[in-house]
Amino acid sequence: MPEVDFTVEVCGMAGDGTIAAGGLINEAMSLGGFSVLGFDSYPAEIRGFGRCVTNSRIGSNDIVALGEKTHALISLNDEQSRSRAPFLAEHSLVFFDSNPPAYVSEDNSLLSVLPPGEEVFGMPFGELAVGASGSSRGRNLTALGGFAAVTGTDPNLFRKVIRDKFKSKGEKVVNINVKSFDAGYQYALEKFSDRLKSVFPKIETGHDPQKVTLSGNQAIGMAAIDAGLKLYFGYPITPATPIMEYLAKYLPEHGGRVVQMEDEISSIGAVLGSFYAGARSMTATSGPGFALMTELITHGVMAEIPAVILDAQRGGPATGLPTKTEQSDLHAAVFGGPGDSARIVIAPTNVEECYHFVIRSFQLAEKYQTPVIVLTDFFLDNRVENRPFIRASEGQAASWNVFPDDAFKDRYQRYADTPSGISPRALPGMQGFNFTATGLEHTEKGSPDYSSENHAKMSEKRHRKIRYALKDLEKPAEFFVSDNLDVGVIGWGSTFGSVLEAVEKSRKNGFKVGALKITSLFPYHSETIKAFMAKSRRVLVPELNYEGQLANLIAHLDSKPVERLNFVTGAPIPPSAIQNRIEELLEVVA
Amino acid sequence: MSVKRFVIIGNGPAANHAAEALREKSSESKITMFSKDPFRSYRAHLLPDFIAGLIEEEDLYNRPYAHYNEMDITLRLGQRVVNVDFSKRNVILDHKEVVPFDGLIIATGGKPRIPELFQLFGDIMMTLKTPSDARLWIQKLSYVDSVLIIGGDLTSLSLTKALLKLGKRVKFILNEDAFWPVPLNEEIYRAVTGRLEQRGIEIVHCRRIRRITQLEENLLEVETDSELIEVGALGAFFGLVPDVGFLARTGLDIDRGVLVNEFLKTRFSNVYAAGDCAQVYHPVLRDYWISIGHENAIALGRIAASNLAGSHLEVQVEPENILEVGGVKVNTSWWTEF
Amino acid sequence: MKTPARILADQVNRIQKSGRFSPRSASLPTWCPGCGYFGIHQGLNDCISRLGLPLAEIVTVSGIGCAGRYPFFSNTYGLHTVHGRALPAATGVKLANPNLTVFAVGGDGDGLAIGGGHLPHIARRNIDVNYLLFDNSIYGLTKGQPSPSSPIGTKTKASPYGTVDKPLNATLMALSYGASFVARLFAGDPKGITEALIEGVRNPGFSFFHIYTTCVTFDKNFKTWTHLKEWTHALSQDYNPNDLRRAFNEVLNDDFSLGVIFKRDI
Repeated sequence: MPEVDFTVEVCGMAGDGTIAAGGLINEAMSLGGFSVLGFDSYPAEIRGFGRCVTNSRIGSNDIVALGEKTHALISLNDEQSRSRAPFLAEHSLVFFDSNPPAYVSEDNSLLSVLPPGEEVFGMPFGELAVGASGSSRGRNLTALGGFAAVTGTDPNLFRKVIRDKFKSKGEKVVNINVKSFDAGYQYALEKFSDRLKSVFPKIETGHDPQKVTLSGNQAIGMAAIDAGLKLYFGYPITPATPIMEYLAKYLPEHGGRVVQMEDEISSIGAVLGSFYAGARSMTATSGPGFALMTELITHGVMAEIPAVILDAQRGGPATGLPTKTEQSDLHAAVFGGPGDSARIVIAPTNVEECYHFVIRSFQLAEKYQTPVIVLTDFFLDNRVENRPFIRASEGQAASWNVFPDDAFKDRYQRYADTPSGISPRALPGMQGFNFTATGLEHTEKGSPDYSSENHAKMSEKRHRKIRYALKDLEKPAEFFVSDNLDVGVIGWGSTFGSVLEAVEKSRKNGFKVGALKITSLFPYHSETIKAFMAKSRRVLVPELNYEGQLANLIAHLDSKPVERLNFVTGAPIPPSAIQNRIEELLEVVA
Repeated sequence: MSVKRFVIIGNGPAANHAAEALREKSSESKITMFSKDPFRSYRAHLLPDFIAGLIEEEDLYNRPYAHYNEMDITLRLGQRVVNVDFSKRNVILDHKEVVPFDGLIIATGGKPRIPELFQLFGDIMMTLKTPSDARLWIQKLSYVDSVLIIGGDLTSLSLTKALLKLGKRVKFILNEDAFWPVPLNEEIYRAVTGRLEQRGIEIVHCRRIRRITQLEENLLEVETDSELIEVGALGAFFGLVPDVGFLARTGLDIDRGVLVNEFLKTRFSNVYAAGDCAQVYHPVLRDYWISIGHENAIALGRIAASNLAGSHLEVQVEPENILEVGGVKVNTSWWTEF
Repeated sequence: MKTPARILADQVNRIQKSGRFSPRSASLPTWCPGCGYFGIHQGLNDCISRLGLPLAEIVTVSGIGCAGRYPFFSNTYGLHTVHGRALPAATGVKLANPNLTVFAVGGDGDGLAIGGGHLPHIARRNIDVNYLLFDNSIYGLTKGQPSPSSPIGTKTKASPYGTVDKPLNATLMALSYGASFVARLFAGDPKGITEALIEGVRNPGFSFFHIYTTCVTFDKNFKTWTHLKEWTHALSQDYNPNDLRRAFNEVLNDDFSLGVIFKRDI
């Protein structure tokens, strides 16, 4: 079978069914056995009235990054789709409505901005939908029918996912929607009979039943539920809100509760209060909200109270670029707040890791009694992947709380110094262990104490504990690493997929290039990172931020300078940009 | 002054040369070309070679897409102009887009002519005008091994050569209707049929075709006044006619083609027609003539563009080069090649 | 053989084990001698004792300020958070484990200034937290700056020419925010505090206790013992705390009537 690597975009206005159509493409292709990575973006400020774009990259091999060029554009609104024209590959397929409700001027037409090589497929989306269902609402489905016919996709894949999507609304709705799809499919088969392609051949192995199509947001929400989350406190903020909305819908049936708080300060305050009282709780926010939380995060560090905070990063500083993606909260996550306030910071790089890392974050928080920050970003949260996905068992999500031994009843020292720095933690309700958790510097017993000896001792104890946490934190993963590399690329977060694809391509070009994925950002495994840097003649750190925040964190580990590749475009880093930089560096190396 | 917007309808030799000449003369203007067909500028005379497998499809095309970018010409393929509003000076496309123009060149070329008698069988008869037609022939020829050609023009003869090369059996009806644009006389008939028979082609002598029946997907029955023929496919070649139907209700003067003066201008200012779709006035003949063929198209395209850009060039054709066929005067460059 | 002394010792031991012995912690309060907070401390401790609440099932949550230190002087579980954030933390504690009795304590700076945004929301969510606002109209821990409840003209080192901002009325605010239980009390009347707290703890929702108190060190003019004793008085005999309109009237007309101002009918 020839290798498939095809990117399709659906673009329309809110209300056109754009996101639904994109979702159906992801599901259908996943069902067909392809690897899918999708990303919905809302370039407009106000999503409710603006442009919607879905981007799906479909491949026969694993897809780890977003496509850079679009091979097919399904336009449900030509005026909006004009903005997508620059992203079209040569000879792409463009599906558009050939009978829009009104005449359009050249200045608003999609076709007037297409390069000459694009193949246009005009179909009366609305008319076909009316013919099939009596309403033009199904025009996104007739468009999908055209797409399936022209690209040679098995129509049964789409029929199945359309049925699944609408089955809760009854057989009648299901049939209407399948009919709309079929109307588009038949029309295109006949109308474009001499231009049909076979982009998506049938994959004999078919669908891997363990592959689930999931967004980062859904994975995070599912993880929280599977971890037995009892309370979610949050405040609406783009792009973290979908996590709150997911949990608001599903948490109650699992015995939990979502409380929309008055701000991010109260959200983290309530999370600390809940964990203090023994319940798993979390909050999710983005940069501006995270900034508000920093004082209480350091309170968690000082008072040794667990907390789980998910920071879905967006463009900053300040209000910045709410609907754009960036990795510029790393410094804030690791260092933000008053004092020496070391905490745990982890960052998943794909949807599957979003799930496992969120579950792990509760356990780390419990065991190390400190806030754990999970760093994601808009691109990771809103992306859809279909990867083999196995949910954690209850045991895998079990509590890691360290309770005091009964022997210490009535002589309990909440902040007792131990070799690991972990002090067994009592919960309110436990008889004989009453203590006061405090953000003041305190003795092992928990009484305020500002003496120099005590502050030195307790600061060391808290940092020892964080260092000790390394043994429970995932080690950096090496990809294609040999004893010596010409270029070693270090990536984190949502950017790592682009790193991996760039490195693979460079290797296919015959270059000795390897990659290192860092998911534990604080504390980090300096020995592993150091070793990787030592065996790389050049070290490259691509990041979605201006300052090179990961590079700043690890550059000191090796004597040679770290090469930085920084993007602040608000969009994911294209793999080709990393590949180009790798190959530029190779020229210098050679 | 604002940038001039020029629109060219068509993507054949006349249209492309008009666009290029316009760009030479007017570097600042916006030039947009529309073609109802979804393919680039191609060499029509190579289509039979493509069918015969002598060349790849890519070899048909003579202008890369980059060419249009370099020339800053917007080429819009697969987009059909369905109307022109000369009062508002807009071109209207099939998908309801309205494109304004300051100057317009109509160079839509010709489309396969199907005589009234045969229009009933339009679905069954295959023609050969575009790469898409060629692809259909290639598809068809993978199922059938006999073809009946009704024709006599250069395309039908080139296709026949290609069919022979592919080892197909060819029957040929040299039809008066098909033999266009020159009159078919006894002498030519004998010369042509003789040459065809030499190549192993079976000539069907008949006056008219009575009935064509599709027996199966790839089996046709053709009943002439003399015999009953079974073949796999039927190619019909009756020459080309100007493709100007979409202009019928626009107020433009149309006879067979768009009527233009010797400067290729229509009755509307800054609106010109060139190539196979135009009917050009000849001041000596005091009559209109139709242009046929590649070389004519290029020449007319360039003249129309120059005049739209402000020149005053006259089409120069010696009256003796213009033939009259069935009441229509034509000038053909390629007929002489036959 | 059981001697009376042995029986007594057993009883003490049993009471100690039950956690009902004394809500006071071993550490003595660090407040200034004569501080009104001692009276509040006594009032709350007596409430806990009288209700017989197990100390291990009580959490006392505070922010920052002189009142913020309260949890250290109580033998319950304590959560001493940052400035202004006692109420969100108390919300988390209560929702996490509804079996706990939760007291939130704090001063007027903590609760009306930096933490003022949380009061409306805990009130409208009606979280079962008992919030004691120690209102002495001054920042004591930072050595005497004006607070949101200082009267106009208050002179401090930070306001040498007198303050110009209008003071907030915490009781009125709590009523406006829809608190389901509102009491106004005086640190000089620990018994009154205990009575109101007992009633408020039983209220299965947010209970607000606005407690007038003194800062003997930094306020020599306004909320002094002399003034508060002179100004405060009990609500009239026929006062009905279930009538919200009447509660508003009462608070608008009289700043110093003490007792349960409002109690939502359940």
